[in-house]
Amino acid sequence: MSTHPLVIENLTFKYRTRPENAIENISLELKQGELLLIAGASGCGKSTLARCINGLIPRSYRGERRGKVLLHGKDVADLQIAEVAQTVGSLLQDPERQIVASNVFNEVAFGPENLGLPRGEIVERVDQALKRLNIEYLRDRETFNLSGGEKQKVALAGVLTMNPSILLLDEPLASLDPASAHEALEVFRSLADEGKTIVLIEHRVEDAIAIKPDRLLYMEGGKIQYLGAIDNLPKEIDYTQVKLPATWVVQRVKELNQAAETPTPLAVEERGEPLVVFEDVDFRYDEELPFVLKDVNLKIYAGDLIAVLGPNGAGKSTLVKHAIGLLKPTSGRVLVEGKDTRKMSVAQIARALGYVFQSPTHMLYAPTVREELEFGPKNLKYDSAEISKFVNESLSSVNLEEFVEYPPLALSFGQQKRTTIAAVLAMRSKILVMDEPTAGQDFANYTHFMNALCQPSDGAQSILSANFAATLFITHDVDLAVTYANRALVFGDKRIIADGKPQDVLKDTELLLKYRIRPTSLLKLNLDLLPKTGKFLPAEALAAYAS
Amino acid sequence: MLVAWKYRPRNTFIQRLDPRTRLIFLFCVIFGVSIPEIWDYRIVLPLFLVSLTLYLMARIAWKDVKRVWTYILILVVFIVGLNALLSARGGPSSVTNIVSPVIFTVPLKIPFTQLGWDIPVTVSKIWFSFNQMFRMLTMTLLAIPIPYTIDPNIYGTAFRQMGASDKVSFTMDLAFRFLPTFARDFSITMDAQRARGYELESMEGGIFSRIRRLAPLIIPVVMQSTVTGEEVIDAMDLRAFGTNRRTWLKDLKYAPRDYLILGLGIFIFVGCCVLRWGFGVGGYFVPDFFTNLFL
Repeated sequence: MSTHPLVIENLTFKYRTRPENAIENISLELKQGELLLIAGASGCGKSTLARCINGLIPRSYRGERRGKVLLHGKDVADLQIAEVAQTVGSLLQDPERQIVASNVFNEVAFGPENLGLPRGEIVERVDQALKRLNIEYLRDRETFNLSGGEKQKVALAGVLTMNPSILLLDEPLASLDPASAHEALEVFRSLADEGKTIVLIEHRVEDAIAIKPDRLLYMEGGKIQYLGAIDNLPKEIDYTQVKLPATWVVQRVKELNQAAETPTPLAVEERGEPLVVFEDVDFRYDEELPFVLKDVNLKIYAGDLIAVLGPNGAGKSTLVKHAIGLLKPTSGRVLVEGKDTRKMSVAQIARALGYVFQSPTHMLYAPTVREELEFGPKNLKYDSAEISKFVNESLSSVNLEEFVEYPPLALSFGQQKRTTIAAVLAMRSKILVMDEPTAGQDFANYTHFMNALCQPSDGAQSILSANFAATLFITHDVDLAVTYANRALVFGDKRIIADGKPQDVLKDTELLLKYRIRPTSLLKLNLDLLPKTGKFLPAEALAAYAS
Repeated sequence: MLVAWKYRPRNTFIQRLDPRTRLIFLFCVIFGVSIPEIWDYRIVLPLFLVSLTLYLMARIAWKDVKRVWTYILILVVFIVGLNALLSARGGPSSVTNIVSPVIFTVPLKIPFTQLGWDIPVTVSKIWFSFNQMFRMLTMTLLAIPIPYTIDPNIYGTAFRQMGASDKVSFTMDLAFRFLPTFARDFSITMDAQRARGYELESMEGGIFSRIRRLAPLIIPVVMQSTVTGEEVIDAMDLRAFGTNRRTWLKDLKYAPRDYLILGLGIFIFVGCCVLRWGFGVGGYFVPDFFTNLFL
């Protein structure tokens, strides 16, 4: 019998509630110290595979399981959960959901406490894990107040105290800003070098390959499409499904000899009266607390498609909440269509400016998509003929007509996200503001979603330019700014650091790094080709220019 | 709406007490007053003063508790106080049985009809409502400081060392943190819906349409909590919760000051029982000086 840490033989699983197999005939072997990258679009079966490895299948999720998952030669289904937990350490997608204790020390000690180890040993293991990840300084902090990157390290320390031989990392970069994601990846690499076997599930292949995984497993529709070395650009990998380095995409597009897609036409620059004005805005939540915004000056004009970049927790959301009047400046003023937000209710501002929150689950409530969309216009007291017209138009804009009678909460995440956009479209606001429009979506889905919003199709205008005078979105994905925006803002240190055309703002690599924004391969390639292209383009379109 | 609180370490006698002492003392007072049904102001008032002293010793800044106290006082004065005054229920039957002078009557009528009651407010009822309010305040004075002054990290341990099972103890630990999380989700949802023109203030219509108007707030928050709950379960499973007898890292030990407070608590509980059942002292009566005020 093989003594490899992880052996999977002909594994097939079907959830009780679904007709089709979630994964089919998966077989692989992992050696000690091996780092395997698993990539694929959502729904490809990678999360199901993860659950089979950490024992949540068959324990917490019911269904039909065939084949074997062997941990050091023993089938995971025959092991006690305590034994599995000491072999496979799982790091979940969102560290906030993994953290169960209120301070760091207790959180890291949680696993060994559950194993009933003696106190002295627990303290020793906790100290070792904190030291290993260089986070001893967090020992007595409250988990609630940590930054995203810190939370993730704490969650990882909590997993390491169980001394697992295998680490299972399920999209660990999803909630991190680019610099924190990079730091996390380096830690994973060094753990593999120390002999841990690592399974890294990540659709941001571009970022993950920076730490040289030993092998890549690419899945589609529950099946293995490719399993092997990563250096030679495996053909089986679809560049529209996972995020590959821009140079790979260019090479692939050339090989396939596909006609380069029409470059995104940037919205025409219109100046004139600004739609939104921030004048010397300072803001703090409480007199005793430090300022979150200081001396912010910003004008948003018709025709703007603005990407706001900056580190997590810098105050980007605080900034845009001022535009909708949810927050009012401590000093200075914000004008929306010339009127001071202090003198308007949020509902009045909503007629001019629509705001889409990050998580659709925070706002979707209605029994059908139609009622969800009618909510805003009804609140704004539009008459019923108008309401039904606006609702129908916004439904067709986001391609959700067939789901009009569906409960929004039963839709997929991407569809929910589109529902929230449609809900704001139906209010006929002039300005659209989106907080992290791509958060929680995988590469294939968010590319599709952003293309649908920003790119014109069949000679018609894009959803954005047809419906909104100006759009602003917050993101920590530099490529979104490169691909879709015509104006980029860098926000940090409580103020706007840079503001201008993406090609002007994003060429300053030093500035970007200072604000925890890492230049991507797409940005680098675009900067190299800028003399030829004259503007930023998506990777596929660059193929026509690259030599 | 929920009130989020904030624990802060303070160097006070109260905060140095073992959390178990605080909880046991609270229960001694609650049960001491309620089980033997103590209504005698000569017992209630000293207990109130003991609670007030302990509350002040916790040195919680007024601005931290202002909102909580507003809610509690509204509850105590308007619901408990008025109910006691008008119906005199929720206490011993002697409140209404005692022959007591009527001060004034409150005519309760269904609008536009002649149906209704004249409710006589007697000296006895007024005295009773005072009593009832002070009993409630005696208990709340002990309960309110708890979330502000007990380290959230030791709730679980405290319950475990009072004999609860691992699961019950950790549930208590999580429950205390679920409330602030719930409050945070609620405020995000409130913001998201306000951005869609929703205004809580402008609710119109009858009671049912008002409740329906709350759906945009309630449904997302409940959905969010359910999802969070499931994720916490997975996270705990993956780290072997509930498989072994758990080691609780923190070990609580009683200090002499704890024995002092525990002794006081037991003295209060036993004292109330003995006075009431042994000597027949502590039941409801209206003292003469109070009746004389109205004559």
